[in-house]
Amino acid sequence: MKKAEIICALALLTFAGIGTVEAVRLGFGWGPSGPRAGFFPFWLSLILGACSVVILAKAIRMDPAGETARKPFVSKKSLRPVMAVFLPMVGAVVLIEVTGFYLTSALYLAFFMRWMGRHSWVGSLAASLLFPVAAFLILERWFLIPMPKGMFGEYLPF
Amino acid sequence: MEALANLIHGFNIAISPFNLMIAAFGIFLGVIIGVIPGLGGTSGVAILLPLTFTMSTTSAIVFLSCIYWGALFGGAITSILFNIPGEPWSVATMFDGYPMAKQGKAGQALAAAFIPGFFAALVSIILFTFFAPPLAELALKFGPAENFAVLTLAFSTFTGLGGGSAAKTIGSACVGFLLASVGLDIVTGRPRLNFGSITLLSGFSFITASIGLFGVGEILLAAEEALEFKGVQGRIGLKDIWVTIKTLWRNLFTWITGTILGFWIGVMPGTGATPASFMSYGIAKQYSKHPEKFGTGVPEGVIATESAAHAAGIGALLPLITLGIPGSPTAAVILGGLYIWGLQPGPMLFVEQKDFVWGFIASMYIGNVMGVVFCLSMLPVFAAILKTPYAILTPLIILLSAIGAYAVKNTMLDIWLLLVYGVIGYVFKKLKYPLAPLVIALVLGDMTEEALRQSLILSGGSLAIFFTRPIAAGFMILTIFLFLLPAIRPLARRVGRTFKVEEVKKAGGD
Repeated sequence: MKKAEIICALALLTFAGIGTVEAVRLGFGWGPSGPRAGFFPFWLSLILGACSVVILAKAIRMDPAGETARKPFVSKKSLRPVMAVFLPMVGAVVLIEVTGFYLTSALYLAFFMRWMGRHSWVGSLAASLLFPVAAFLILERWFLIPMPKGMFGEYLPF
Repeated sequence: MEALANLIHGFNIAISPFNLMIAAFGIFLGVIIGVIPGLGGTSGVAILLPLTFTMSTTSAIVFLSCIYWGALFGGAITSILFNIPGEPWSVATMFDGYPMAKQGKAGQALAAAFIPGFFAALVSIILFTFFAPPLAELALKFGPAENFAVLTLAFSTFTGLGGGSAAKTIGSACVGFLLASVGLDIVTGRPRLNFGSITLLSGFSFITASIGLFGVGEILLAAEEALEFKGVQGRIGLKDIWVTIKTLWRNLFTWITGTILGFWIGVMPGTGATPASFMSYGIAKQYSKHPEKFGTGVPEGVIATESAAHAAGIGALLPLITLGIPGSPTAAVILGGLYIWGLQPGPMLFVEQKDFVWGFIASMYIGNVMGVVFCLSMLPVFAAILKTPYAILTPLIILLSAIGAYAVKNTMLDIWLLLVYGVIGYVFKKLKYPLAPLVIALVLGDMTEEALRQSLILSGGSLAIFFTRPIAAGFMILTIFLFLLPAIRPLARRVGRTFKVEEVKKAGGD
């Protein structure tokens, strides 16, 4: 937990640093029409920087033998289920980029139900057909909200 | 009695067949969203926001607010039957609701959530009906300095009342503000912080952020505990309802305290139903005749929590409509909706958009009546939804999140950002960074910056403008107090402790 706190505070500090550099480039002082474009981001970056230094200092001073410090950020036991949810999620996003939303949702649902949930083939296939069809009708037909079509975009008539 | 005439006019609009249908649909979806863990009211409203783009503005707000009421009702179902909070604001409902269910009193526990919740909502709507217009009138006198003062107050309540680390709260809000400032500068029109990217020129969408931070983040957290839904069937007989009404009568004081506290916390910008429910539970326990029984299945615990949550849900929309400031994270998402529908939230709404405002207020009465009737009658069906296995629920929520994120701007970037926000939400929650300030800052960032810069232009660069105007000064002083509260509190406690030690010494010496 201690390591995670330090890394997170450093990430925030970097974010604040980027903000400050950009704000200085834009100018944060007084311009012809009042405060310049960088004025607001400049002060916020400074406050964020100050906050991250406070968090960092607290994290470093944290007693390494204490309960919160020793508790791992993700325990070995729970890392597996988290990854089992996260990795397919990333896979699905990549797949949406390539094959579009509807095919991906069918594959993703079928995969998750069959391999993660150990549902029957029939149930998995039924759900993975039902969802894209329902989503298609509701989104594209009724509410006219387009979803990404990936490489099929040119071939499909909708 | 102008309010009454307006209200009747509002009912005429809200009772149109389409609006009634959309309200019923909203309540139905809301209850489902409330029941499903990992899909909160905030992300639920955010996901369904794009559905409103083709509706009229009144139907759109009726739809979104009814989802909110539905979610307020639905959250309790999961908490009581499965000991999993369906919503953040029903966490405290679990404390006594689940023990009651285990004792076979699931029906009474659910009724104790729905009925007092409904009456709390009703009282709050009546308060809303009669106090919203005067508040809006007061708000008309607001200039940029006052606006900025109120906006900072919204953020100060997080540091002062939110508990947790002040540095993390302020840091989280700053990240939101910085993300909000990406894109075109609102005053000079200069592109900034986009690092040459054209997609980023339109800025970061708060919808993607709230779905990712809350929705996807919660799913990753839930995966850790490998949720399995096992529950008891809940069915409410007429007898349970009667028993609950008698219990409510005996605990009238708890209910009144919960309702008033909830409404007030809801109206205070930036908080909302979740802190209200916890505070009400704490107060009910503190003033109970038998505090030791709390947590073992006493209906007071459920009554206190749910009445405060429902009252806060209504209260949170008051500053949203009158001042353009959301009283809760969900209200912040609805605020974003108002902008998208082309409405300028704030005091002018009452003048320019009478149909919209009063149609919406009337729909709150209708929506909450529908909600309580629906929940009391459809309970077995909702218990069946929760039997949906984890392996179906998780991909479904992810796919729904992707729809919500993509529908905002039709860019794949938003779907990728969903993953990034999901990881940030997961990390932030584990390290106890509050997420709500980030989302609220992202929504309100432009407004805050504009108010601040306009005030400074007015005053020629002097910060004194915030203290020389009476209304602004009042808000500013309250803001500063709340910001300093985390620093003052331990100090005050230390002073208190020394006094006590001295008293004890004196007492011992005598």
